[in-house]
Amino acid sequence: MKISAAFVEKVLCAFIRQELARFSYRRAIVGLSGGLDSSVCAFLAAKAIGPKNVIGMILPYGISFGEDVRDAQSLARRLGLRSHVIDISPMVDAYFSRYPTQDRVRIGNKMARERMSILYDFSAREKALILGTSNKTELLIGYGTIHGDMACAINPLGDLYKTQIKKLAAHLGVPAKILKKKPTAGLWPGQTDEGELGLNYSEIDQILFQLIDERKAKKDVIAAGFDSEAVEKIVNLIKNSEFKRKMPPIAKLSSRTVGHDFLYPYDRNR
Amino acid sequence: MKVILAQISPCLGDVRQNLDRHLHFIEKAAKKKAGLIVFPELSLTGYTLMDMVQEVGLKPAQDATFKPLKILSRKTDIVLGFVEEKEKGVFYNSSAYLSGGRIVHIHRKVFLPTYGLFEEGKFFAQGKNFETFPTRFGRAGLMICRDFLSYGAGYLLFAGGADLIIVTSAAPGRGVSLREEFATSHMWELMGEAISFFSTSFVLYCNRVGFEDGKAFAGGSFVFNPKGKLLVRASSIDEELVSVDLDLEEIGAARKKWPYKRDDKPEIILQALQRIVRKYED
Repeated sequence: MKISAAFVEKVLCAFIRQELARFSYRRAIVGLSGGLDSSVCAFLAAKAIGPKNVIGMILPYGISFGEDVRDAQSLARRLGLRSHVIDISPMVDAYFSRYPTQDRVRIGNKMARERMSILYDFSAREKALILGTSNKTELLIGYGTIHGDMACAINPLGDLYKTQIKKLAAHLGVPAKILKKKPTAGLWPGQTDEGELGLNYSEIDQILFQLIDERKAKKDVIAAGFDSEAVEKIVNLIKNSEFKRKMPPIAKLSSRTVGHDFLYPYDRNR
Repeated sequence: MKVILAQISPCLGDVRQNLDRHLHFIEKAAKKKAGLIVFPELSLTGYTLMDMVQEVGLKPAQDATFKPLKILSRKTDIVLGFVEEKEKGVFYNSSAYLSGGRIVHIHRKVFLPTYGLFEEGKFFAQGKNFETFPTRFGRAGLMICRDFLSYGAGYLLFAGGADLIIVTSAAPGRGVSLREEFATSHMWELMGEAISFFSTSFVLYCNRVGFEDGKAFAGGSFVFNPKGKLLVRASSIDEELVSVDLDLEEIGAARKKWPYKRDDKPEIILQALQRIVRKYED
């Protein structure tokens, strides 16, 4: 679980730089929430391609997240990024005024997809690739909105657990205020990931590391002393979120089918 | 004898562009008076080819791609990697040794990793031999990436009389720790040290760098001398032309001190292997 943050930084900066260059892009876009993952991503991008080539998109819903907006803005200023603040409440409210709901998850998912839609429009507008910020913990337990915050062009953070990102953040010099924040998906005011999941990240990451990286069976992880309810819960979260990590299956009819046996790399001819 | 390891990042699926870069680096090597330049596995095509394997296959005897390479091999010996269409529609992950204007030897990768992130067995036919061949620097043998992790393969080159064991590689880094390199980098050096020491041969390992579909190829190209001493090691991330002078006298010197070569017993190993294979056929 321990990482050399300096080495990881070098690899991820090279990844961002080379992946942009091979698709002939000079600029990158990061959605800034004022939280840890997007701040780390912005730091890496600024180091990799220079802060003037990084566009920080701050996309709050109304004024409910005022402090996070201020943190994101101060981070963008500190790094010297170009940033835009766009209030997504008119778009989101317009929809829910016609199809009202009290379901906070539906509302939160709609917000995440509204942000995605703006990021992709800015990607075209600014000729910039979107950097994803979903970490390994979120990807494995499916703690993200499909076609929302999980959508991106490339993801530098997807193979780092949340606790590893925290280490990397400290190494990069991410402000202490952001380091100390309780992680939140920003689905509603006061929401925290750990509160919603009922587990803390350090516990989740250690269990995931045993199950995924060490390829241990559920019973062996429990035998090693981890809480059986927590292990059970995490195994189920992983199983039930497979659809978020895959392209949708295509009904196969022909002898060569996209997604089945028409097989090309993402970086084809690059 | 000066050797250059060209730790490059090929462009995936673009043979034309990769050939141009090869020619550029070979000319550079010639200017530095290098006797040999080694490129990584699949250096003319990139690694994660998948269905592109069928589109970038070359027939080295007649293909125009090899013409300028053969010409440059009159000055500098060249080892490079490519997709070989040996028979119509049958493709191999191959490496070639070029010298004196011709292709001296072709090795076809035997161990095609097909597990986890590797899919070579899906796209390539399997090579069937490990052979040594004469060069102006002594006998040489080629291995490609995963071949090198089979100590049986290393033994065959040793038994075949190799003085130089040349390994081309496209090894992705896997596993981060507190070390300033990928966890898998150590595995290659471990084998390099062991094989060079116990075969009393030079081991030249040229890996690539760069990214393909998120995989980071972990560089770290190296050379060990016949006494198992590390002569040079390249960076884990950056493109690099690694230059190193080999004293070929060290091969004989090592074998005087450590008579592994003299005392080798290939016939006993062969008989024992035959007994083992017969047993599991029963």
